Amino acid sequence: MQTSNALDPQSPQARAIYDLAIPSTIIFALIFVIVTGAIIYAILRFRGRAGEPDPKQIPGNRKVEIAWTIIPFLIVILLLVMTLSAMNRADPPPAPSPDLVVTGHQFWWQADYPGSGVITANEIHIPTGKPLSVRLESKDVLHEFWVPELTRKMSNVPGQPNHIWLQADKPGAYIGQCSEFCGTQHAWMRILVVAEEPSKFEEWQRAQLQPGLATTSDATAKGLALFQTLTCINCHAIRGVAGADLRVAPDLTHVGSRKQLGAGILENTPANMRLWLKSPQHIKPGALMPDFTFTDEQLDQLSEYLSTLR
Amino acid sequence: MNGTTTIAEFRDAVLDPAKRAHYRLAWLSTVDHKRIAVLYMLTALVFFIIGGVEALFMRLQLAVPNNHFLQPDTFNQLFTMHGTTMIFLVVMPVVFGLANYVLPLQIGARDMAFPRLNAFGFWCVPFGGILLHFSVLAGGAPAVGWFSYAPLSETPYSSSPGVDYWAVALFVLGIGSISFAINTIATVISLRGPGMTMRRLPLFTWINFVNAFIIIFALPVLNAGLAMILIDRLLQGHFFLPFRGGSPVLWQHVFWAFGHPEVYIMALPAFAMVSEIIPVFSRKPIFGYEFVAASSVAIAVLSLGVWGHHMFTVGMGRPLDVFFAISSMLIAIPTGVKVLNWTATMLGGRIRFDVPMLCCIAFLIQFLVAGLTGISHASVALDWQTKNSYFLVAHFHFVAVGAIVFAVLGAIQYWFPKMTGRMMSESLGRWTFWLMVIGFNMTFVIQHFLGLLGMPRRVFTYPDLPNWGWMNMLSTAGVFFMSASALILVWNLATSFFRGKIAGDNPWDAWTLEWATTSPPPHENFIALPPIRSRRPLWDIANPDRPDPVVGEVSAAVALPDHNKVGILSFILSETGFFGALILAYLYFYARPGAGPGPKELDVPRTLVFSVCLFASSFTFWRSEMALHKQKRGSTLGWLALTIVLGAVFLGGQANEYWKLFQSGVDLSTNMFSTTFFTLTGFHGLHVLLGLITLLIFLWLGWEGDSVSSKFDSAFKAAGYYWHFVDVVWVFVLLTVYILPLVR
Amino acid sequence: MTTYQFFTTAWTWNSIVLILSALAFVGYFLAFGQRGRLLYFAAAVVVFLLAFISPFSALANGYLFSAHMVQHILLVLIVPALLLLSLPWSFSLRPSLTYFSHPLVGWVAGVGAMWLWHAPTLCNAAATSRTVSAIQTTSLILMGSMFWWQVLAPREEQRLSPLAGIVYLFSACTACSVLGIILTFAPVSICPVYQHPVDRLGMLSTIRGDWGLTSNRDQQIGGLLMWVPMCAIYVTAILAQLARWHSGSAPQTEESNA
Repeated sequence: MQTSNALDPQSPQARAIYDLAIPSTIIFALIFVIVTGAIIYAILRFRGRAGEPDPKQIPGNRKVEIAWTIIPFLIVILLLVMTLSAMNRADPPPAPSPDLVVTGHQFWWQADYPGSGVITANEIHIPTGKPLSVRLESKDVLHEFWVPELTRKMSNVPGQPNHIWLQADKPGAYIGQCSEFCGTQHAWMRILVVAEEPSKFEEWQRAQLQPGLATTSDATAKGLALFQTLTCINCHAIRGVAGADLRVAPDLTHVGSRKQLGAGILENTPANMRLWLKSPQHIKPGALMPDFTFTDEQLDQLSEYLSTLR
Repeated sequence: MNGTTTIAEFRDAVLDPAKRAHYRLAWLSTVDHKRIAVLYMLTALVFFIIGGVEALFMRLQLAVPNNHFLQPDTFNQLFTMHGTTMIFLVVMPVVFGLANYVLPLQIGARDMAFPRLNAFGFWCVPFGGILLHFSVLAGGAPAVGWFSYAPLSETPYSSSPGVDYWAVALFVLGIGSISFAINTIATVISLRGPGMTMRRLPLFTWINFVNAFIIIFALPVLNAGLAMILIDRLLQGHFFLPFRGGSPVLWQHVFWAFGHPEVYIMALPAFAMVSEIIPVFSRKPIFGYEFVAASSVAIAVLSLGVWGHHMFTVGMGRPLDVFFAISSMLIAIPTGVKVLNWTATMLGGRIRFDVPMLCCIAFLIQFLVAGLTGISHASVALDWQTKNSYFLVAHFHFVAVGAIVFAVLGAIQYWFPKMTGRMMSESLGRWTFWLMVIGFNMTFVIQHFLGLLGMPRRVFTYPDLPNWGWMNMLSTAGVFFMSASALILVWNLATSFFRGKIAGDNPWDAWTLEWATTSPPPHENFIALPPIRSRRPLWDIANPDRPDPVVGEVSAAVALPDHNKVGILSFILSETGFFGALILAYLYFYARPGAGPGPKELDVPRTLVFSVCLFASSFTFWRSEMALHKQKRGSTLGWLALTIVLGAVFLGGQANEYWKLFQSGVDLSTNMFSTTFFTLTGFHGLHVLLGLITLLIFLWLGWEGDSVSSKFDSAFKAAGYYWHFVDVVWVFVLLTVYILPLVR
Repeated sequence: MTTYQFFTTAWTWNSIVLILSALAFVGYFLAFGQRGRLLYFAAAVVVFLLAFISPFSALANGYLFSAHMVQHILLVLIVPALLLLSLPWSFSLRPSLTYFSHPLVGWVAGVGAMWLWHAPTLCNAAATSRTVSAIQTTSLILMGSMFWWQVLAPREEQRLSPLAGIVYLFSACTACSVLGIILTFAPVSICPVYQHPVDRLGMLSTIRGDWGLTSNRDQQIGGLLMWVPMCAIYVTAILAQLARWHSGSAPQTEESNA
């Protein structure tokens, strides 16, 4: 099962942060034990009994005060040096041009690969073993890209491109989520990073560049026709379908190949596709896709068509 | 009291202090700091229950994965209201209330420096709270989080008026907080009893005094930000909208420049409470008074420069990230040192484990955890994983609940006898304490791990990932213990008020002045004050064989500054933050000019002429003051009238400039220059107008013949300070807006 | 040139500076003889020399705005403070100079020094002309001394009272922070000469490349230096004031226990 455990780093960048976390936690734990120990010692050793006279009234001790100011100061310097080193390893300067551009929308992610021209949504494929320079943007409000096992989190700020490095050591599916509150469905703006061997990644890229499959049956042909006439193309793009090139909403060219729908709210099955189309607002109230009033027949045709777009 | 009261009887009742006390409206019209304090605390209690119920509902929704108990939008409104309520309507009122009650007593004063301002400050709280909650009936509560990040909080993304109610409510509450801070500063500086020098102040008073300075510097910055967001939302300004040249990150800077000091504004009073209670129940003075006092000042100053640690993931650039990390880690030192001072106070003592002390012990351990997780957030790289996750939620609840709420619980149990004359029940208090310890830790310890497992904050539900389910369920379970604790607390307060054991003057054998009078104190607080030579006057009396070392000059006959002067100077200090934020925002956009109108649209020579009028009005006011000193009524009023005329001419000139700009199509919504120009000069003009109204009132009072009392003299001088200040602000505005474009 | 090479070879043996420092020592002995506190004075001279002789100075002379900012801070805060601390206890200002010892004058001098020399034309002039640079150095030390006089004058009665001193220091810290904030966030170059440095030592590629300091970052760091470290100095002074305030009554203990 996929996890998003920050304590299980799967990339050099995440490991740099983890390598800082362990010694820091040890230092904090030591401080906690020492101070709490002193408090517990005080509680046990200096219990007062009723009627006892008041003890010696000690106002303080200058030497002790100076010592316990200097020691934390030294600890702080140590932590700072460790932090600076981790920052450099987790977040080196960006490459001159990005390998991947991730744009946040309410409530989905768009992924563009400038090198190859691939455009997809929510499910981001990367080759293993290679650091990718990622530019983060936003089309509307603040979002935040966070895949704990792979990298630091970073905000998507509208009007101010940001940058992170994204890398995975091993093939696998890594999950993450938008972590800057961005509106009603902030909770379902999940991220799926699929890391593959470089050769498999090339295959995936090639497949993504193909236009949407030509329709193979009567139902899917009708589905395509519905897609073109029922205003879907006002928001969604499908490469190869005339007129469908707006990307206000996720690109659907290969929507059938994705593992999830609705930025993680549903598993991608034809039945779920149909459910989503029937009433997105019922599944993900507040998503920017309105409810349409489709007939059952139209729903069958549309969902079948879209499911073939692998 | 009943329908048949005549006007004459009403007036007699109101004018006779004894009868007034029985009059039902006495509490609503009170200006007595002790009653205002109780009002503050009761209001806080009501909102605590509301905020707690909001939290309960949230945790119920989060108890299991993929839950549909609440609609997402409802949940989002709940967490926004929960945060806003707890911070502005619970913690701040309760700490202000406690300080309001105890501080004047601790310094041997009869009341706060400005009793009516005190009442005003209190009433801002229920009115602000009602305003905020009215949004529920007017299209929905705000659903943008308690810090309301732009652009989500802007009209295109939050079209219902919830955010407007939030902003205006916070504005009102902010003004109330600033009033309280001004009052605190003036009281501590000007109203100390004989022998109470600044160096003999109890730590509770000193820390609240230092805290007041943070308030007057930080709250106005919030007000500036709120003004900006309201201008964006209601007047089509563009401060924070990128597609019109604004900057979402600017909101974060302005908000957190307030927001971080705000958390110290809440925490410092908790330190103040604990610094009183731990020594009394350890039967020893605080270990290292000077260091605790100095570290409070260090925290206050440093707290104004660490806000960027809330923005480590927004892309400020490596240099800024590093510098904020440095300053944030530095502030950990004075904070941490205090924990050691409190612990050292206990060592070598004879500790009594009454409820107030139990609360302080829990405070120490929980605050330690909070501080350590705080340092982890100051470490930028660690923050890159933990920020905006449940780890952060756990951290700030350890501060807000684990430290602050526990300190307040202890403080209530400690000072309740003084306020009511009766002790709270020890056994019910223990139930409250233990249930709260169990519930609090059950809810929030596990959240550290949830955050490390990748659960972000502000999510109305979550997928069924490994361990997330049971961890959330455990976290929800803790809420029931905390709710039970709260209910028992309320029960304890109510029953103890009516049937608690009689307390006497000094049930805890404590040493500061509030325990040197009856419980509750008489209206004027003290019949007589004991001699004050050290920091613990009552210890000296009870222990003549080993009194505390004398602090400072033995007979301290201090000439205390005039409270009106201190008050107005504090107010002026608060305004520097407000105008400072507006000027910096202006400069920020000035350095990034866009298309459209710019400073070249301004008629500099004309403005200079009108400015001369304004500056001249400062001179004429000074002449008026001189005449008042010489008791020349005619001169005084004449020069004053001239001041008013000159000020009005200036405003007229401003209005004319505005008119000309409107005529040529330049208004608030045109571009960034126009938005910032009108905001900055507009608020300055508003301050001039308020000044003119004040001066008109003085003119009227003088005309009516009230101009020779010394009270008038001191108030008139104070008004003068304000008027000169308005001029000084104009100097800066003139230089920045009108002159700067000419030289660069 | 590599970083190592730079830090080992770029020491400027500026004869004027060395001669002035030697003269200063002589002058100090003549004026105060044994009554002075030599250690502080030596420290002041050492800091002064470091600011002008070390490789650091080479960076400040036209390469890095942030290095020049450090120089400023040393000259306006550190060196004057050390100089004042080196004065003997009995030192007091000549009556004709008492105007300079008014708190407001001191405050304006200290804060003004920073603001003045960051006006773009003046900043540029100081970085390009030796005369202006000399004027700048002298004025910084002088104005810094006027500022610190209020807090570090040798005789108690010539200083501000501790609490007033805290207000004095805190407001100065705020005023410098505001400038620091403006410098940090200003997208335009405040001191244009640092945007296109003349590469006399062949260090530019190392600075821009190995050290990663673009001119934008450099200005940011400069602004931040004026903000955080400078304020840290003020905060330390504030804490020293508090310490002074609290320790003012030590002798009383004997009396009250008598």
